[in-house]
This record gives sequence, C-alpha cells and structure tokens, in this order.
Amino acid sequence: MTFSLIGRCARTGRLGLGITTFSLAVGGRCEGVAANVGVCKTQAFPNRTNDPLGIKLMAEGYLPARVMEMFASNDTEHSYRQIAIMNRDGRIAAHTGPGCRGWAGHEEGTDCVAFGNGLVGPQVLDGMIKGFLSRPDDALEHRLMRAIEGGRDAGGQGTPDAHRPERSAAIKVVDRRDYPDVDVRVDVHPTAVAELRRVLEEFKLYEEFYRGRDTDPAKAIPQDVFVAQLKAKRA
Amino acid sequence: MTYTILGRCAKTGRVGIGIATFSITVGRYAHSARSMVGVTVSQAFANENNNAIALRLLEQGFTAKATLEHLKANDEYFTYRQIGVIDRTGAAAAYTGPGVRGWAGEVVGDNYIATGNGLVGAHVADAIARGFLAEPDSDLEHRLLMGIEYGRDAGGQGTAEEHKAERSSALLVYSRHTYPDIDLRVDLHATAVEELRRVYVEYKQYEAYYRHRGEHPRGAQSQEAFMATLNTSAA
Repeated sequence: MTFSLIGRCARTGRLGLGITTFSLAVGGRCEGVAANVGVCKTQAFPNRTNDPLGIKLMAEGYLPARVMEMFASNDTEHSYRQIAIMNRDGRIAAHTGPGCRGWAGHEEGTDCVAFGNGLVGPQVLDGMIKGFLSRPDDALEHRLMRAIEGGRDAGGQGTPDAHRPERSAAIKVVDRRDYPDVDVRVDVHPTAVAELRRVLEEFKLYEEFYRGRDTDPAKAIPQDVFVAQLKAKRA
Repeated sequence: MTYTILGRCAKTGRVGIGIATFSITVGRYAHSARSMVGVTVSQAFANENNNAIALRLLEQGFTAKATLEHLKANDEYFTYRQIGVIDRTGAAAAYTGPGVRGWAGEVVGDNYIATGNGLVGAHVADAIARGFLAEPDSDLEHRLLMGIEYGRDAGGQGTAEEHKAERSSALLVYSRHTYPDIDLRVDLHATAVEELRRVYVEYKQYEAYYRHRGEHPRGAQSQEAFMATLNTSAA
C-alpha cells in the first residue's frame, strides 16, 4: 500500500518525488532522486538495489525503458515490484507487476507519472495527477504536495470498506546541486499527509534563511532573531 | 546550534550519524554517509556542497585529514564551518572555525566524533562521546542514538540560562549496500530527540519484516497480519 508521483517542472527542469504509505519511514527508502539524472522509485515489494542502480544507469545515458528491461533481467522477483522511472528529459517507464496486491496500477500525465498499490481504485491515481496539474506554475514541491493530497482525497489506500491511514510521507525535489532543494519527511504519524503539509510550509519559511547562512555566513542573523521575525509576521 | 555524533563500528565497518538541532528538517543536511566509504557532516553555517564533495574524496581514497584540508582550500567562508570526517579506516578529523557561534567544539577519537555548536558547554560534547562509547558491542544505530540522548541530558543547546529546544533530528546508518540500513528522521517537533527515540523503537519492530518482504515477496505476510503479531506480543 503506497501511492507516489514522480514529476518534472517543464520550466526549470527540476525533478521530484512525492510519496505516502501505510509503512513507516518511507522517506528513508527514496534514494533514487538525483539532480541532472532522474528519479527512480521501486515500491510494493521493493528491491532496494533497484533505485541506486537505476540512477547509475541513467547517469550512464540509458533511457528509462532500457533501465526497466535491465531491472527485469536482474531480479527473479520483478513481477512483485512496482517501479516508475523518469529521466531528466521527462521520459517515463513504469511497471506494475502482477504480484502487487490490492488494486495496483500506474498512469502517466503531463510531466508526471502516478503509481500505487493497495489502493481503493484507479480514481486515486486520477486524483494525484489532477492535484499535480492543478497549478502548473507553482514550485514543483507544492505540486507534489497537491498530488499526494489529491490521492488521499480520492480515497487513498485500502478498500471501500476499510481505509488504511497514511503513516509516513515524503517529498524530495532536486535541481542542479548535489543535495536536494527540498527534502521533507514524516516518518511515524497517524495522518502523515496533513503533517507533511505542515512540515513543508514551515520549511518554505526557513528555506532562504538557511541558504543565506551557507552562502554568506558573515552577514547571517541568529536563528532566534529570524524566528522572532517570523512570529511577528504571523501575529 | 546543533549536536552530532559521527560513528563507525570497528567490528562491522558500518558508518553513521546521529544529529539533533534547533533548525528544522536537519536530515536534509545530514544524508552524509556511504557504505565502505565513510561519514561526514558540515554544520554551524553549513556549506551544503561539502558533504557530497567529502564523500567523493573519501571514496577515491583520501584520508579523513586530507579530505578536511580539501574542504578548507575550497571554501572562502571556511572559518564559519564546523566539520567532521571519518574515513573507512576509522580515522577521524574535525574542525570548528572561529566564526562558529556559542560554545562550539568537538571530542575526537578512533571511530567517532562528537561535535556541536551553540551548546551550553564542553560537557555536552563529552557526554555525547560517553553515550556513544557506553555500549561498544551494541548496534551502531543504538550507540549513535545514545550519544544524542546523552548530549540532550547534559543540557544540549543554548546557554546556562536559556535552553534551546531540539526541533529536528535524524539517524542514518550505512553498511554494505547502496542504500541505508537505517534512515530515520524527525523534521519538525517540539522535543525531537524524544520523538526520534519513539520513531526508532517503532521502526525497529518493522525493520526485519520490511527487509524480508522485499527480498522474499512470494507469500509475504500482509502488513496487517504482521502487526497483529506485534499487538499480541505486546499484550
């Protein structure tokens, strides 16, 4: 049980992944998000070696479709995996093995691919893509957040009789640097999607301040002062 | 304001980091270990490029000391940084620039670095090291978490008059794989060290189940069935 969306900002070329699931600490299993290379995410019964391997293969120049073929030939349990891959140009490959449980599938949209398993139905993927496309001019992290919320609001995980809560969630966005622009997580929480929105919105308030501390430390104000300024703005 | 333990298990070669700070989403800045390579951190006024550069240098075979020298030569604001590096032999090198604010410093030994800034005093760094060394035969993640908790219990961040809360924390361990063994985070919380312990205890119950499910998907127990066994044993 998981629903995820890989997206690309056509204006900036930024790439990212939004994900939520019933399992704990899902953000700790998202190594496959690499600046200037692409995004690769294996879920359902994940083969953890896939995502780092997929990034290496895309960095070598292989296209997502070819990477997927190599995954298939490298894994006796490929039919139990759900995988989506997008490269820096927005090319996509996706696979939902017949061994994935519950309702499971993937769906491509403009600059994105939604994929999930253990869902109440295909409307969850539709909800994710609709959320992602709803404000195409926004920063990619906000679009990924709306994608996850769109999936949740369309019913999310479980069956019509029994909803499964989202207990962990994550958003990762890379641009041109070695480290992610945005990397926010919720590891154990009863409503992880709502909590992820809280973390993301808070992070966005600090983002520029933290960057300035790095690039121009001599002029940096203490964080206490910055926090007090934030508080004053909110009041 | 941050306190951190970098550690290596001399028996297994596993490497990892435990970190807690007043800033939010610190895990974004601390994804800085690699299997069979080493572990590093750049904090205080963190140069965000440093972690990736340091890991590449360590991978190529540079020692911890030489890696630190390279970072210094590459950074006009080096005097504002606080940096730790441990290489694959367990050799450790650390630096605290004069521009770092509050009480700042480190305790360095074979296979570990306890480092922090904006702390109530030198005894916090001593306590972190003591926590890490307290149970040398335990798993590395447990030892790293003990280091952080000892640091908190010794007063943590702030001044003697005013404690600064830990608002985010993270725990990361790599062993032999291209993905982490343990990757847990608390991004935004009023007591992030306590919350990290809660996440850790919860996740540890699932760790083997998640690994097995990915490696042996055929006939894997559903997560609900697995959780029912957890509840039974807890009752």
